[in-house]
Amino acid sequence: MATDTAVTTDVQVEAPIPDQQNRVKTVWRKLLQNRWAAVGIVIITLQVIMAVFAPLLTSYDPTAQDLSVKERPPGSEGHWLGTDEFGRDLWSRILYGARISLIVGISSVLLGLIGGVLMGLLAGYYRWLDGPFMRLMDLMFAFPGILLAMLIIAMLGTSLVNVVIAISVWSIPSCARIVRGSVLSLKNQEFVLALRSNGASDIRILFKHILPNCTAPIIVFGTMRMATAILSTSALSFLGLGAQPPTPEWGAMIAAGRDFMWTSPHMTIVPGIAIMLVVFAFNVVGDGLRDALDPNMEVR
Amino acid sequence: MKDPVLTVEGLEVRFQGAAGEIPAVQGASFSVHRGEVLCIVGESGCGKSITSLSVMGLLPGSAEAEGHIRFDGRDLLRLNREEIRQIRGNDISMIFQEPMTSLNPVFTVGFQLMEPLVVHRNLSKKQAFEEAVRLLERVGIPDPGRRMEQYPHELSGGMRQRVMIAIALSCEPKLLIADEPTTALDVTIQAQILELILKLKEDTGMSVILITHDMGVVAETADRVLVMYAGKVVEEADVRTLFEDPKHPYTKGLLRSMPNVDDDTYTLEAIPGTLPKPGEIQQGCPFHPRCPEAMDRCREENPRVFTHRPGHMSRCWLAEEEDQDHAGESVG
Repeated sequence: MATDTAVTTDVQVEAPIPDQQNRVKTVWRKLLQNRWAAVGIVIITLQVIMAVFAPLLTSYDPTAQDLSVKERPPGSEGHWLGTDEFGRDLWSRILYGARISLIVGISSVLLGLIGGVLMGLLAGYYRWLDGPFMRLMDLMFAFPGILLAMLIIAMLGTSLVNVVIAISVWSIPSCARIVRGSVLSLKNQEFVLALRSNGASDIRILFKHILPNCTAPIIVFGTMRMATAILSTSALSFLGLGAQPPTPEWGAMIAAGRDFMWTSPHMTIVPGIAIMLVVFAFNVVGDGLRDALDPNMEVR
Repeated sequence: MKDPVLTVEGLEVRFQGAAGEIPAVQGASFSVHRGEVLCIVGESGCGKSITSLSVMGLLPGSAEAEGHIRFDGRDLLRLNREEIRQIRGNDISMIFQEPMTSLNPVFTVGFQLMEPLVVHRNLSKKQAFEEAVRLLERVGIPDPGRRMEQYPHELSGGMRQRVMIAIALSCEPKLLIADEPTTALDVTIQAQILELILKLKEDTGMSVILITHDMGVVAETADRVLVMYAGKVVEEADVRTLFEDPKHPYTKGLLRSMPNVDDDTYTLEAIPGTLPKPGEIQQGCPFHPRCPEAMDRCREENPRVFTHRPGHMSRCWLAEEEDQDHAGESVG
């Protein structure tokens, strides 16, 4: 007994910090060391601040029209980003748009994750469910994503809520695939056999033991999916299937600005840049997280 | 002998493979008595792990088991999923070969130790914590309060195996199945873990099935020994008889392939050849291609079970003349 205890006790006598906190710290540190991911985090933080404190950052109502100041270019007095064709302040529309894109993005990704994780867990763990579930997912994969979303919206009607539903349904298959893959490799590990030999039920093994082991790929998928969801929301709104005027949704703003491209290009460029920055940010952070969560990958 | 805790009769396990049915265990019969250590010995792939998994009801989906496994007046092979799950952990527990992967890496030792206590024994969190600390003390882990907070990767292999034993013992099982519990450990740790299992057996009066391929482990721990070859039980005896008077050439081979440092003149011998793939040999004794004493008869007829004296049986034609009762009481 003495031999094997001596080694472990000596090394970790002064290590009372719980390991879970350590791990979060390590991942965070690795993430910040990745320059692009750090830029992405800054952009996302800015978006969150804009979304949360929108009423404090502007004095204009994003939907209040003031035809006396319509189509003002950026840098105009009182409207530093200019105004649109109805004289609405572009900065406040961008602020409230940040709120919409964040809410729609988060809720559609969460819904998609719930559905995808559930299907992935069940398909990976129960062989008899694997075939039917995965064929269903293949069926959904066969549709181009935006087409599937349009189909769902055509059935449910145009509104932001339906956009959320459409995007989350569309997220389910890829999420289910990722989770199923992790479960397939995890369920053959000895600790699962050990749990079963101790009489743990399938539900307990699946949700209490296998699911926490899948968190890394799920976090990465969720972050990357945020970018897709925000872009798709804008695309659908641009096509007139999502947010309806006068809602200050970025995609809808671009659509409205199309007619004024030659006279007031800022009406399309400003929301365009906003979408681009946010999508870029979630993508690089997702990439960074994937590297940071992978214990085999050393940060350069 | 005293009352048996577990009785296995005519256990047959077959796998549905791409090339048809593959027999993994063919007619194994044995029993384990109260407070006894039964060692099941054999090479990798001889069916010893499959036998123990059938007892636990943990065979993979492609396997099919027939026969009887009686435990506590019930036939384990005829219980439904929920009933067998109630027995696992409560009445029969198992520990595995790889302590490195037998614990869930994302939870603390304490969490994993408390879980069966809360689920099976309905203890409160606080009671479970105290009980878990007691269990860790019992398996010889120093400073158990702090160990509870640690993650599996912070423990050494020997420590993890101790934790596994603590988890297996948490519900005071009547039978502990240890599947090569020391194979992945250093030799010095091996002896400690075996000692621990024996000590806990003495304390609790449970029975132990110890699966191993190491005759050294057998010599140290066993009361009775079952030698398996190619899915069949080829010899069964108490440990003393087996070492002093082995009957089956395979058992003799296993004993000769065990190093002996005390004897200078001793030469280590390997058994030539390898275990046949399941289902490969259809005719004769499965051991005949590797057997130094094989006769013509061995190539044609599969030997039945011969009894040398009560409790000592083997499946070899060489034993025919010694056979006590010609009825040939079936061992397997």
